[in-house]
Amino acid sequence: MPGRTPLPDDDGLSAAITGLGLEVEGMTRYGDGLEAIIVGEVVGRRPHPKSDKLGLVEIHDGKRNVEVVCGASNVPDAGGRIAFAPEGTVLPGGMTIGARTIRGVESRGMICSEVELEIGSDGDGIMVLPRTWAAGDRLIDRVPGIVDTVFEVSVTPNRPDALGHVGVARDLAVRLRCSLAVAPLTAPTADPDPTLVTLEAPERCGRYFGFAFSGAKIGPSPLWMRVRLHRVGLRPINNVVDITNFISMEWGQPLHAFDRARLAEGRVVVRQASNGETLTVLDGTELTLTEDDLVIADAQRPQALAGVMGGNDAGVQDTTTNLLLETAWFSPAPVRRSARRHHMTSDSAYRFERGVDYGLGLSRAVARATQLIGEITGARLVAGHHARGQTPATPTITLRPARTQRILGMPIPDDEAQRILAGLEIEVDTADPAAWVCRPPTHRPDLSIEEDLIEELMRVHGLDDLPSRGSMPTAYGTDAPTALLDPAGEFSREETDALVDALVATGCNELVGFAFADPEALAAVDPRSTTTAIHVKNPMRSQHGVLRTHLLPGMLDAVALNIARHGRPLRLFEVGRTYGWGEAPSGDGPTAAIDRRLPREHMMAGVVLCGGLVTAGTRSMYDARSVGGVLLDVLSRLGIEADLRPATAEPAEPHLHPGVQAEIWIDDRRVGSFGTVHPDLVRRWDLPDGVAVFYGELNVAVLPKPAPAQVRRLPRFPATSRDLSLDTAATVPAWTVVAALRTAADSLTESAAPSASAGDGPAKALTEDPPRLSPGDRAGTDVEVLEDYRGQGVPDGRRALLLRLHYRAAARSVADNEVQALHDEIVTRALTALAGSDPEIRRR
Amino acid sequence: MHTSVGDFPGARCNFGVRRPRAPALRRRYGAGVSDDAIQQLQGIDAELAARLDEAVDPEKLYALQVEFLGKKGKLTAKRALMGSLEPAGKKAFGQAFNAIKAAMEGRVAGRKETLEAQARLAELSRIQDLTMLPQRGHVGSVHPITSTRRALETVFRSMGFDVLDGPHVEAEQYNFDDLNIASDHPARDMQDTFFVAPLSGGQAAADLVLRTHTSPVQVRAMLTRKPPIRIIAPGTVFRRDDDATHSPTFHQIEGLCIDEGVSMADLKATMERFVRAFFGADLAIRLRPSYFPFVEPGAEFDVVCPFCERTPGETCSVCRGSHWIELGGSGMVHPNVLRAGGIDPERYTGWAFGFGIDRMAMLLHGVSHLRLMFEGDVRFLEQFPC
Ligand SMILES: [Zn+2]
Repeated sequence: MPGRTPLPDDDGLSAAITGLGLEVEGMTRYGDGLEAIIVGEVVGRRPHPKSDKLGLVEIHDGKRNVEVVCGASNVPDAGGRIAFAPEGTVLPGGMTIGARTIRGVESRGMICSEVELEIGSDGDGIMVLPRTWAAGDRLIDRVPGIVDTVFEVSVTPNRPDALGHVGVARDLAVRLRCSLAVAPLTAPTADPDPTLVTLEAPERCGRYFGFAFSGAKIGPSPLWMRVRLHRVGLRPINNVVDITNFISMEWGQPLHAFDRARLAEGRVVVRQASNGETLTVLDGTELTLTEDDLVIADAQRPQALAGVMGGNDAGVQDTTTNLLLETAWFSPAPVRRSARRHHMTSDSAYRFERGVDYGLGLSRAVARATQLIGEITGARLVAGHHARGQTPATPTITLRPARTQRILGMPIPDDEAQRILAGLEIEVDTADPAAWVCRPPTHRPDLSIEEDLIEELMRVHGLDDLPSRGSMPTAYGTDAPTALLDPAGEFSREETDALVDALVATGCNELVGFAFADPEALAAVDPRSTTTAIHVKNPMRSQHGVLRTHLLPGMLDAVALNIARHGRPLRLFEVGRTYGWGEAPSGDGPTAAIDRRLPREHMMAGVVLCGGLVTAGTRSMYDARSVGGVLLDVLSRLGIEADLRPATAEPAEPHLHPGVQAEIWIDDRRVGSFGTVHPDLVRRWDLPDGVAVFYGELNVAVLPKPAPAQVRRLPRFPATSRDLSLDTAATVPAWTVVAALRTAADSLTESAAPSASAGDGPAKALTEDPPRLSPGDRAGTDVEVLEDYRGQGVPDGRRALLLRLHYRAAARSVADNEVQALHDEIVTRALTALAGSDPEIRRR
Repeated sequence: MHTSVGDFPGARCNFGVRRPRAPALRRRYGAGVSDDAIQQLQGIDAELAARLDEAVDPEKLYALQVEFLGKKGKLTAKRALMGSLEPAGKKAFGQAFNAIKAAMEGRVAGRKETLEAQARLAELSRIQDLTMLPQRGHVGSVHPITSTRRALETVFRSMGFDVLDGPHVEAEQYNFDDLNIASDHPARDMQDTFFVAPLSGGQAAADLVLRTHTSPVQVRAMLTRKPPIRIIAPGTVFRRDDDATHSPTFHQIEGLCIDEGVSMADLKATMERFVRAFFGADLAIRLRPSYFPFVEPGAEFDVVCPFCERTPGETCSVCRGSHWIELGGSGMVHPNVLRAGGIDPERYTGWAFGFGIDRMAMLLHGVSHLRLMFEGDVRFLEQFPC
């Protein structure tokens, strides 16, 4: 063999492993400082003169005898060996061993436990070493691997082979251009005994090696193995279990050992469970099995859930002497189903469900395991059987070097590609230089198509020399503003962003809340949610049980949090989706079949104003009208003119105070509502007394698409105004009065000037003054409410509205008497329309 | 208190207003002509001159003007003297009257200017402390996730990407199956999924999930568009994860480019352009092989940490001294995914990428805890005025 390629240092190795797509998430150096630990021989023990708990132990360190104070109860008799840290040793944890006096007796060194040496978790007693080890020998020479670096690798689910150290080493060897050295293994020889294994489910179990051992001596594993298991986070149990875990880590091949004496008839049957059969597994859980579960049974009953976990009854115990060792390949998907069905996770299931090797790797694991069991437990292999079921067919994949270049955008030279494939144990036939025929190894079930092989080349070759292709395709976006999800909505994504900006411009702070809601809190806000809300089947907590049908619950949570933390006034908004079951959309695009089954998602904008904690003598800086003003301002900023109207919803919006709510309309569309948050909700959210909360919302999906502003001709002639004081019942909304006046005005001015119609295009409106006398020069300012007066002179239950009507002719000045006549007529007509509201003119 | 005008040197001067002087009359018109009448006029002028200082404000000055020069004023009343004079005297008296009237009007005008000058100086001497503002107006704020999403959209739009959106409640077919994540594939464990509970008697919710990534938009884009396709899809995603660095709701952005002859090298170039436009620096990109079921080959992409320079001489808290930041995943669209989208993988190739918007926002603004992003403390929110 050629000289060994020097390996990179730890950082270099880490970078190489990460570069292979096996991300190193952590790197821990173990055992630094253990060079000083030596094997000590116990010469004698005597009690500590001043302590019942401590003892004095005389130790021979290979050169001389020293006496140390030790509190452990398991110090061996004279001749026993222990791990001795002489004076001056710096332990891995950083502790320096010095000569010190413990209760009047000088102690010159320390007898170590596993914990101090970072080689185990047993800190109760000291570590007792084999008597065959010579006093004075360095521990690092006796226990290979005691000084080591552990790389914690995050293995992606496509790489079951990398769930064993050999798999990672194989990749690394190709990457570093060195060879993979595997200890020589010989296939076990055992008397064939077909009765050991009965394979009744060959479609689910492709391979089953059963080996029977006798004369096993169960005990602790040798130190080197315990150290390695400890370092990878496994707790040593006994030598047989440790060997199975060790093989699982080394080869990625889970094994299971049964106490053969506890198996009825000493044999196993690989079969599907019958419905209702039970099995108590190692962690004590009793499983009720189904026909879809594969079990390893004895002649009578299940003893293991195949590939997932062994049963309690036939597990290896201290008294076990006869073993049946299972090394198998189970079909991945059913193992996954069984594990999920029974809510079980195990290292074994983790590997089987990703697909372990059913070929060479399996045979190697078998050889390694039988060898170790013989060496470590002293057991004798007495019989064996290899049952074969169905294993996946190895795919044949055509790899075109030209395609490699097309996908990666860089060439990988043929010889380099072939070296990489060979190193990964992929068979390659390059008879056709343009289309290589490749057969992946059995330990790489993830390789099935050409792109998989291209990825292998990329992984090993590395991406360091991947060029940036300069010739980017030209821009070919469609530039179409992108519609939001709601098919009925007119607002694009960009317009929704403009809505956010408009809300920000009114001084509101944007919230981003969770889509989840607490079902009860949501129902308090939106009672309809009890039938429309989408329930999450597996929420993380009950307060996240449903998807919000309304923005308010989340916003009230934020209000409560802010009030509790600092009590400042709040102007918050959120633009986000609400969710609910509802009528399916009727589209027929390529995704319609799926879309019809989906619930509805609505884009909503919510605004919360809260006056904050109110101290004595101060008033909330907001009232219910403030939030309506914010919403109208926001719409104005988007070029949308909206109107307020009295609440029409029947019943009234349940999240708002029944008497303090109103709606926002644009032409004939109701686009939102606002008002005071219902007092019951304020209580439900535990807000302190006096904290007033106002909420308004816009249904973004029904907002009209903002259009470019169309300029109005500036009025050339002055307006004249007339005031009107109108007394009505206090329950009549101002809107009703204003609307009556507007309607009356429109009916008069339009009939007087039929040529001025809304149908005229903007160009015409610019060039032609409508020759009519009309109130105002734009909608919204024609009739103004100046004052809402209640009090002296106005009877209880009534109020006086002071209104101002503006009159202007487009093309001329108007005469006073002309205005007065029109005004009188408008008021008369409006009063007729308002007759039901008992209006009374106080002053015109 | 106003500072007295008198404190300023020259405050009493008349700023160069020229006034006719009464004594000159006698020289011009000679003595003996209507002397008595003219003396009376001169007496009125002298009285006005003496009382001018009484006019300490424009109103008093006006009253003075009316008293002397008004229709029934002292001077106007003397016009009647004219009737008792001889014709020769009448002329002289008339000339004198006009001259004195002009002189008196000049005195009033001069006094008016003086008052205005005093008022101006008084106004200019006023001091107001503007370092104490009344309560400020409301400055709104855009949530950092929104602003980061928009900044990302702007960059990718400028590179010719359309921005698409998709439903948050998605069918498993689009969220998993069509993305090469079969139902029994362990890759589904990579993304702990929220499932939608069926609605009894209503719409079937079988196989509906809260989308675990924005990748279903890839499928939707492929089904509804034809290559060349160049889209990004930012949006909310959901995973069953809740700890210091994970939230059950978070935000991702997905990119997809499908055309003839698209390769990993295009992906790299696009990511480099994006990084340059977004971070405003020519930062290196690193692609690292990795696995995502919907791409093959797959790679994580890292960018050289642009934040190290915030803390010179110290270990950068963002990259922990590694000088690289993991941004997200990427790769060449898996042929199965292309086929599911109705696109021929032999003719077209494509790449896709995805990364977290929230994390990007946290990096940009130095936000330490994800929790801050979603709890809605206004003291946090208002730190992001747009
Ligand atoms: Zn850094």
